[in-house]
Amino acid sequence: MLTANEIRKVVAERTAHQRGTGKKVVDVREEMEHLEEKGEIIIHRIRAVNRPVELHTLFGWTKQIPTDRLWHHKSCGQCGNIPGYPSSLLWLMNETGRTYLNEPHQTSCTAWNYHGTATSNPVALAAVAARNFHRAYETDHFPLIHCGTSYGDYKEMRKLLVENATVRTKVRDVLRKMGRDLVIPEEIVHYSEWVHAMTPELVARQKLPLSGVIATVHEPCHYYKMVPEDAVYDEAVYSGQRPAVPSGILMALGATVADYSTWYDCCGFGFRHILSEREFSRSFANLRKIRPMIEEAHADVAITSDTGCVTTLDKSQWIGKTHGLEYMLPVLSDVQFAALALGAHPYKIAQVHWHSSSAERLMTKMGIDWQAAKAEFREYLKALQSGAQPELLHPAHGEIEKFFAINKGQVLPDEAVTPAAPTATSGAGPGGRS
Amino acid sequence: MSIVANLPRRTLSLSEEEAARPVAMHLTGRQRLSSEERTLSEKIFEEFRSDPRHHEFVLGCLNCGECTTGCPAARFYDFSPREMLQIAANGDATTLWDAMQEKIWACCQCYTCNMRCRFGNDIAGIISVMRELSVYHGLEATRRTLAPFGRSLTLLMTVGTQVSSDMIQPDFFRDWGPFATGSDKVWQVGADVMRRAIPTDVLQTTRSAWEVSVQTSLELFRIYEETGVLDMLRGLDPDLTEMLVDIIEERREEFQEARERFADEIAGMKGPVATFQG
Repeated sequence: MLTANEIRKVVAERTAHQRGTGKKVVDVREEMEHLEEKGEIIIHRIRAVNRPVELHTLFGWTKQIPTDRLWHHKSCGQCGNIPGYPSSLLWLMNETGRTYLNEPHQTSCTAWNYHGTATSNPVALAAVAARNFHRAYETDHFPLIHCGTSYGDYKEMRKLLVENATVRTKVRDVLRKMGRDLVIPEEIVHYSEWVHAMTPELVARQKLPLSGVIATVHEPCHYYKMVPEDAVYDEAVYSGQRPAVPSGILMALGATVADYSTWYDCCGFGFRHILSEREFSRSFANLRKIRPMIEEAHADVAITSDTGCVTTLDKSQWIGKTHGLEYMLPVLSDVQFAALALGAHPYKIAQVHWHSSSAERLMTKMGIDWQAAKAEFREYLKALQSGAQPELLHPAHGEIEKFFAINKGQVLPDEAVTPAAPTATSGAGPGGRS
Repeated sequence: MSIVANLPRRTLSLSEEEAARPVAMHLTGRQRLSSEERTLSEKIFEEFRSDPRHHEFVLGCLNCGECTTGCPAARFYDFSPREMLQIAANGDATTLWDAMQEKIWACCQCYTCNMRCRFGNDIAGIISVMRELSVYHGLEATRRTLAPFGRSLTLLMTVGTQVSSDMIQPDFFRDWGPFATGSDKVWQVGADVMRRAIPTDVLQTTRSAWEVSVQTSLELFRIYEETGVLDMLRGLDPDLTEMLVDIIEERREEFQEARERFADEIAGMKGPVATFQG
């Protein structure tokens, strides 16, 4: 507990800051500008080539969302057991003509491990974040974070690096030993914010009407509870009282977004629990989330926008039948759902077969001929087994990239960086890997 | 005027006092601990209270209980974020030690308590600090709790991802049903073919969440060496740590061989690819 004098000091500092800035909460992005002026950090700027769109956060602050020339910061959980999540996002980028890098030169944020086992520390977490930030910077592609936990963790690490000079120095020293420098992106951007920014373009390409589909949304905790002031809100979505993502894209695509009483609850993932105490995860997921979604909202599908939430809500249902909880409500990420609505192949692209709770009933309601798609996919698997080359969304990486994080001459351009003028939305160009 | 002070009392007889002693010892935590445990608990308590994050995360408590009413773990475990915060704010070495035996591991790290807290406490954060200390000091309860994580820790330390498709084995994940593993029983092909059917080459592996280049994994391991994570893990599981060091040594050799093999291609490149030596 703080002593009286310490409390007085904290109050005095906050009061001084409020008087100086007129703000009650420090916008860490402003502090980043000061640090860059002093030569302490490099800010990875969003530029015109990133075709940014301006959104608003909980506190009414503006947030630039880059929509092009992106560096995919993948999620270990998505790629490991729900790979249709990242492949749907890449597919949407190809469809809308966005360029990107999807590299083997990225580590995860390692925060799943930290929140599950605590076998790390803030300096290590900050160094991992900064290492990935620098890699994106040297390729001149802006990082797009796939995972809600990575997104929350990176915002915590950004704050730590900005506010704590000791951590900053330690991290910079570590980075320099590997030839890197301390770079912090101008914004930490979650992929669902990209989806929200791209909504007009995605809706323009919609092939399947969704008016008969009832969707319930699970809001990922780490999207909006870790660093609340930075999450995107939109007055058109629940009157700005809940995060805009992922509800916004569902509403725009014409689905009915139905409310349920436990929307604010976590999914039950628990980091450690989903691996070693799943009796907790599945109890919580079935009793506190899936049951209300079914009984109160009569949902056809649960949509969420984070790795752990899709995993927990989806995988926990199969065992429910042992307790008479035979729901099997399909659980998809927003990008899988959107990709299906835009005509993506349900197995080759959305990869729905990795999910425990079948999406077949939902696909029938969406008007997808999943039996034909499934038969086609079976033939594709046989061909792959016989040695056929897989169909790829972007060119494969060369042998050299198994070893080296080569920069292909992309080390940041020398030209002066000018902030981009944001647009409401922007037209499509050639998509795929840069 | 104290009501309790005026209640009628009688002094215990010697035999009653003797009979009550074990109960009293059980109830007063300090005397339960061995002298080594007492010393360690005091050291941990001192480190906990002097961690700079303590002052940042623990700001005060109204005892309103909002944190606990929204807590998923509180519904299924003997756990309360309010109790954790009270221990962090007002506890002593023994209450902290007790919480570190089991309770701290019930937390889901969802941050719902933080969001609901009127005081702005970072309750999830202070629980993480407790967890870090329990790992750093290699508490026996922590070893037991984290024993199932050897495989994911190996992935984490060597390639920086924590899940691979070959971890999701039917024997260990029966409760996830037959579809979660892309099982050959369902699709009549092996797991490697299922991964090759993912339309990006980076994900076409069963051994990691995605293919990670050797340079990237070595940079990560350098971070672990430089920031004390490797030492922390050594305190928890020395055998696992030595195995990880061996794996990384092999990767360093592989990296040096690749430097010679691709010397022409990387010549003239700028940045870490040119300077990082593994």
